[in-house]
Amino acid sequence: MNTLQLFYSINLPKPRFTIFLPLLILLVGCGGPPANNPLLTSATENYNVAEQDTMVVKYAPVALKEAEESLEISQKLWATKADKSAVDHHAYIAQQKISIAVETAAFNAATSEISRSEVERQQVLLDVRRSEADRSEARAESALLEAKSERALADEARERADQSRQAAMNAEERAKILAQRVNELEARPTDRGLVLTLGDVLFEFGKSAMRSEGTKSMDDLASFLVEYPERKIMIEGFTDTIGSEEFNMELSRNRANSVKSALVSRNISASRIQTIGYGEEFPVATNINEAGRQQNRRVEIIISDQEGNISARIL
Amino acid sequence: MNLYQKLFTVVIGFSLLTACASTNPPNQQLTETQMVIQQAEQLGAEDYAPLEIRDANIKLGLAREAVEDGNYEKAIKLAEHARVDAELAQIKAQSGKAKKEVAELRESIRVLKAEIERNQNAD
Repeated sequence: MNTLQLFYSINLPKPRFTIFLPLLILLVGCGGPPANNPLLTSATENYNVAEQDTMVVKYAPVALKEAEESLEISQKLWATKADKSAVDHHAYIAQQKISIAVETAAFNAATSEISRSEVERQQVLLDVRRSEADRSEARAESALLEAKSERALADEARERADQSRQAAMNAEERAKILAQRVNELEARPTDRGLVLTLGDVLFEFGKSAMRSEGTKSMDDLASFLVEYPERKIMIEGFTDTIGSEEFNMELSRNRANSVKSALVSRNISASRIQTIGYGEEFPVATNINEAGRQQNRRVEIIISDQEGNISARIL
Repeated sequence: MNLYQKLFTVVIGFSLLTACASTNPPNQQLTETQMVIQQAEQLGAEDYAPLEIRDANIKLGLAREAVEDGNYEKAIKLAEHARVDAELAQIKAQSGKAKKEVAELRESIRVLKAEIERNQNAD
């Protein structure tokens, strides 16, 4: 491969004839050799383009100057009708220098672009951090809102619990008050419920009428029944074994009814009151002495539970 | 004498000197050209300027042949061509890498901006 062949293996831009032709005419007009040198013409044309390129002028002034010098040598040689290979030699160098100038400009432009882009990238990185921070903040805020609503729910639950506790306390309170009231009534708790015993002394001897001493007991019981309207009562009358059985049965029944009348007269509904006379049955003490008999002569008032139930006396 | 005439005189003078110098083999010039080629190859000329670096190597080989043939003048011309080819290969490799880096940076910026967009649209 000789040098000339090598020249044609290099990729050179195709000459543009709009510029090429006037240049040719100019060269011919100057009285130069009529046969043009294609390599020199092409290099000259490329140089003119590069020289007009502000990027090349700005970024590659040195390479451009070297290209110009090589081109001038080639042009001088061509003008003095020097050997074609000498003209080609310098034209080729000029052409390569032009390409170097163009590439240098591209390199410097890219380097500037890299610097600018690095700055922009840092800025964008900051923006990313900021947007991530914003997002985290938004998440934290929504989490906070969620927590707040959860707290509100918790508060509500606590309030309900308080209410329940209050209700429980109230119930407890009521139970306590009931116990107190029951205590005041001198009622005693039994298997059948609260039982209030009215002694023989509250009644006229051998009669069903209540003595005035029974008034307080009746007032207490009536106010208890007003206070606890769900409660009902069973009034049971008992006697000792003195006297006939029929008389005693009658007396016990009448005494129970006497108590009922006393309560009804204190505005307690008769429907809440049951009465029964058991006569000599269900003695609580012996009938062989007065002390025992006195205990057996009695009226028992059984107070129902909250539902109004009273368990029956087991015979 | 104007500037061009002066320059031309210098060039002619230089050519004469070269002609005189061609009595000695241009070993120094070949070594320098070899170095420029090596630098270009280290910069990645094989990837970014394969034609230029190939030409430079071929011309350097031809220059060495010319030295062996005793044709020093031809060797010098070939070496000069090989050198500008290698120089062009160097700058092409550098600008090619820089352009690639620019593209990578732009892509990175684009990705980051997309991320910002996503963050703003999220939640």
